[in-house]
Amino acid sequence: MKMPSKKTLTDLATPFANVTADLGQHVAWLKSLRLKSLVQFNKQGLPSNKHEDWKYTSLWSLSQQEFTHKAEESDVSAEQCDQLALLNDNYRVVIIDGIFSAQLSQLDNLQDGLTINPLSTEEGLAKAQPDLGRQIDITKAGFNALNTLLMNEGFVITVDSGVQIEKTIEVIVINTGTTPNLATHLRNVIVMADNSQATVIEHYIGLTDNVSLTNVVTEAVLATNAELNHYKLQQESSNAFHIATLAAKQGSKSQWKTNNISLGAKLARNDVHSQLLGQQSHVVMDGLYLANNEQHIDNHTRIDHTVANTTSEELYKGVLDDKSHAVFNGKVIVHKDAQKTDANQQNQNLLISRGCEIDTKPEMEIYADDVKCAHGSTVGQINEDHLFFLRARGLDEVSARSLLTYAFAVDVLNRIPSEEIRQALSAVIEQRLPQGGV
Amino acid sequence: MLEIKNLHASVDGKEILRGINLTVNAGEVHAIMGPNGAGKSTLSNVLAGRDGYEITQGEVIYKDENLLDLEAEERAQRGVFLAFQYPVEIPGVSNIYLLKAALNAVRKHQGLDELDAIDFLTLVRSKLELVKMDEEFLHRGVNEGFSGGEKKRNEILQMALLEPSLAILDETDSGLDIDALRTVSEGVNALRSDDRSIVMITHYQRLLDYIVPDFVHVLSDGQIVKSGDKELAKELEKTGYSWVNEDA
Repeated sequence: MKMPSKKTLTDLATPFANVTADLGQHVAWLKSLRLKSLVQFNKQGLPSNKHEDWKYTSLWSLSQQEFTHKAEESDVSAEQCDQLALLNDNYRVVIIDGIFSAQLSQLDNLQDGLTINPLSTEEGLAKAQPDLGRQIDITKAGFNALNTLLMNEGFVITVDSGVQIEKTIEVIVINTGTTPNLATHLRNVIVMADNSQATVIEHYIGLTDNVSLTNVVTEAVLATNAELNHYKLQQESSNAFHIATLAAKQGSKSQWKTNNISLGAKLARNDVHSQLLGQQSHVVMDGLYLANNEQHIDNHTRIDHTVANTTSEELYKGVLDDKSHAVFNGKVIVHKDAQKTDANQQNQNLLISRGCEIDTKPEMEIYADDVKCAHGSTVGQINEDHLFFLRARGLDEVSARSLLTYAFAVDVLNRIPSEEIRQALSAVIEQRLPQGGV
Repeated sequence: MLEIKNLHASVDGKEILRGINLTVNAGEVHAIMGPNGAGKSTLSNVLAGRDGYEITQGEVIYKDENLLDLEAEERAQRGVFLAFQYPVEIPGVSNIYLLKAALNAVRKHQGLDELDAIDFLTLVRSKLELVKMDEEFLHRGVNEGFSGGEKKRNEILQMALLEPSLAILDETDSGLDIDALRTVSEGVNALRSDDRSIVMITHYQRLLDYIVPDFVHVLSDGQIVKSGDKELAKELEKTGYSWVNEDA
């Protein structure tokens, strides 16, 4: 598949002119999907600020970049990879500069009923085919169309019926910076059969200050009574663009617990979407963003309660310092048949500096009449009474501020059932808050 | 230990303390009583170093230093302890973390090493007994979901651990039922010693039945208008505060 020339693309999309995606050129279903996406992408391009969902996030700086789509060879040692990993002794998928690394991945002796494949293999494509593209709508989002056009790598996980995966699966996506201005388009698919259970971490890391683009779409399918714990930790470089979609369809009694932690990137945008399609399905959609300097972090979330007796809990917290800018837009839609929906959505922000900015918009659209829904957002500063209390106990001001900021942030990890993961993520957050700022 | 000389303090341009003079020697327990609005809380906040008060005159000498030149944390590190009237709840900061951070801040100032985990826990457990608190409280957020009595006991726990030279108890009896008052008082009494001074600030005489002071002072309209021994408190209990202003 080859992208159109600059002339036929909208202005914002010009960095992607004439790019070729090699993967699956002879795979009929993929070719047809890419053609459909091309039509959509030609029509939509990438969203400008006139688009309601992109009102506070400008892609102008992205459009001014020139991106490379061919990665030069880079070298990451096994030792380095161990240090970067959040967890040890677990299954590990490693993607370096957009290319799967068999050498660094740890996929030996997979538990029965579990498959993990890179998308770039025959097996990966075959396992992904039934579900790939079905959790997202390429007619609604230009980046999803772009991702479908250019996806070249990613991971595909399937868990068979009734299987509980004991080890955590950590997917480590490293941008080494070896290739300046590298763009990678990743597509991940997680398929959970009925009564299955698994924990997956997506971990994005940048090793240098080089400009890069990660455009990733993760799709998850949860059949009846499936449980997926899913965490994302984004630590890309300070000049990175990180654009991510995370979308799941949930069958009855399924549980999706996701936590989305954004620490890095110059511009990060997450679109997280759950469709609760079966009764008694439940989603926990939590997230944290810590922004400093001139970082821009935008989280758009959406939960569709489509049938009766579904529940959702959402907590997004943010800490903003310097001249950073964050956007939170959370939509909960209770469709007309979704009686007895129980939905709670909160966004809480702590502002450290005078120069930072938050645009927060929690939204609920309710078309059913017998529901329990609550939502709200707060924007505040360090509580002076708390600060004085800690100082009156001997803590210096910097340590006291740092401790209070940490306490505010780490609260968002409370609903992670695994003690090991909670502690690992707490440590990452603590490292990020050394001096009372972020 | 503590010498307050002609202390004047204002909030937003309004003078609240109007010339306080008070000397507290090592080992003494002083009660400062007074009606609402007399300046009791202002006095304790000024001594502990809370922002927002303008000192217009006077000085406070504590162990040969002018306390007013020091930041709140520097006062704490030198052994000044304020037990808060309204202890704050800080979810996310565990009690044990706070206790450890506070103790280490004081030890660091004294040139001592940090306690290791085992020694620290042994020490904390011995102090928990003093205020009849369960170990489970250590792992909860600071005062998070604590009852009024539990919050005040937690303050005394912190005091017991930090072993201050000067403890200022701000309305420690407020919001306590009789049982809790007894427990808290027993904790404080156990901490009385020859090298520790205690200043109790209270509206009511009832606390003084449990923690018997050496001296009682009446604060009214920003000045100490009368001083005496514990009998003065009983007099106040009978007659109320109205006579104080008339006298003054």
